[in-house]
Amino acid sequence: MKTAFTAKFLLYSLLLVLVFFPLGAAAMESEDCLGCHEDIETVGDELFINAAVFDVTAHAELGCSACHESVTDEHPDDGLEVSKAACLDCHDEIGEQYAKTAHVEYAACGDCHNPHQVRGLNEVSGYDLNQQCASCHETDDVVSSHSEWLTQADRHIAKLPCISCHTDSEDYVIVLYMTQRESKAVMGDFELSTYQDLVALAKQEDVKSLIDLDNDNKISLAELSTFNFDSTYRSMRLQATLTPADVSHTVETLDNRWDCSFCHTSGTERMQTSFLALPTSEGTYQRIEVESGAVLKALNGPPDFYMMGATRSTLMSILGLLIVIGGTLLPIGHGSLRFLTRKNRMGKGE
Amino acid sequence: MAEKKMIYLQPTAVRIWHWLNALGIVTLCATGAQIRFPEYFSIFGSYSSVISLHNTAGYVVVFSFFIWLIYYVFVARTMVKLYVPTVDDLQNGLLRQSIFYFFTFFLGGDNPHHPTPDNKFNPLQKTAYFVIMFILVPLVGVSGLLLLNVEPLSGLIIMFGGLKVLVALHYLVACCLCAFIFTHVYLATLGHTMIAHFIPMWTGWEEELEDHSDSHESH
Repeated sequence: MKTAFTAKFLLYSLLLVLVFFPLGAAAMESEDCLGCHEDIETVGDELFINAAVFDVTAHAELGCSACHESVTDEHPDDGLEVSKAACLDCHDEIGEQYAKTAHVEYAACGDCHNPHQVRGLNEVSGYDLNQQCASCHETDDVVSSHSEWLTQADRHIAKLPCISCHTDSEDYVIVLYMTQRESKAVMGDFELSTYQDLVALAKQEDVKSLIDLDNDNKISLAELSTFNFDSTYRSMRLQATLTPADVSHTVETLDNRWDCSFCHTSGTERMQTSFLALPTSEGTYQRIEVESGAVLKALNGPPDFYMMGATRSTLMSILGLLIVIGGTLLPIGHGSLRFLTRKNRMGKGE
Repeated sequence: MAEKKMIYLQPTAVRIWHWLNALGIVTLCATGAQIRFPEYFSIFGSYSSVISLHNTAGYVVVFSFFIWLIYYVFVARTMVKLYVPTVDDLQNGLLRQSIFYFFTFFLGGDNPHHPTPDNKFNPLQKTAYFVIMFILVPLVGVSGLLLLNVEPLSGLIIMFGGLKVLVALHYLVACCLCAFIFTHVYLATLGHTMIAHFIPMWTGWEEELEDHSDSHESH
């Protein structure tokens, strides 16, 4: 009797283990890892993982063991070295592109992209895309080298992601982002607004409500205008930048970047699509569609985003044209009457 | 028969300013058209070339403006007399000159204004030049200099309302100056001969008819 009970107990226990062990192991694995690795005091600087940042990366969805296969339940007591997957195991196409560039001699994947922090293009502001480049390329040096051929190189470098030109994307999108004046000085610098800044301003978690007044997940021209002219937001300023529509690792500069035609002579049709990038509580950015043609509007769009030749306002163009035509009316009208009445001035030089 | 008299109307400094200014503004208008409407104009080559030419022409106009300012304020000391309309100019002169341009001129009447070195401009010219030289040219020049240095002067630009406001101002004022060129050149043909007013701006000397029986007008 006792033997049979013991056998049954062992069988049920085994079944329970078989049923729940795999789920438990998979569900707990990343949490187990982060249990130690999100404590900087336990693991130190090099092995520290910021869980909040890591959790919103695409890599987090795969789980720690996807890249660190050799980790056992006994880690770190087993004394085994933890394996690391090579980036190219998954990103082989990117690797092939990158291998053809001069950059490959100077920087490996991890030198630019921390796999525990890396994000997609749509999840960054646009403004802060240059952080990776700046880790090797000093801004002053970049401005200096570009100044040799590029007008207002300082402006271009400050306002554009490097990859807007140094990639082979055939198209681009306009990304608006919020900035705010850091000091009370009249000409104080504007800095990128953080999620906490916007929560404080909106007085609620949904920072989108600052500008998306009807909460339809789309920013209309009227909403942009309201935001731009609302005195409550005097210290805020909408800025904008161009980001490539597609990202590649070719790091090449196409001819249409050298001759400025990619941005400046591409016509106003290319300037219709724009998004507002708002910071989220996870430290990423969410993109919200903005009404078509917003950046071309003289008053409604971002007040400091103007790309000569491409973002001209139709209203202003027509006004200017009317002024110029007005200047020709006197010569045409007066000249015609002058011709018809020329006999009255005979002997007076005509 | 009218007796001809030569008047030294346009001193060397004024002529240098005028032609530098003319060359600069015409270049600015033409290059500006390509900069704003690159799909429709490409006469100056690549976009970066046209930007460089526009910027250079801008500096030339700013430089020539200071030649004009320094000459009339510190050398000739006739700035106020020549360029600032008097109360009489505004109350009566504008109407008198307009009646001539738009009515009596066609009937063969005389120009009520006779230029002298100290009173070169008729009331309409004086008022127009005052607006152009004291308001429009400084506005287009200052906005242009700000647009040439957007990054270092961004704080100042934001104070003015932002880059878009500045660009709109620069463009609209430039269109006013472009419109003025057509009127200016046409009015310059209203002398006693078609080129009578062009010659003094090249040689300095204007041919004046003593008995005032002919049309007298400076541009």
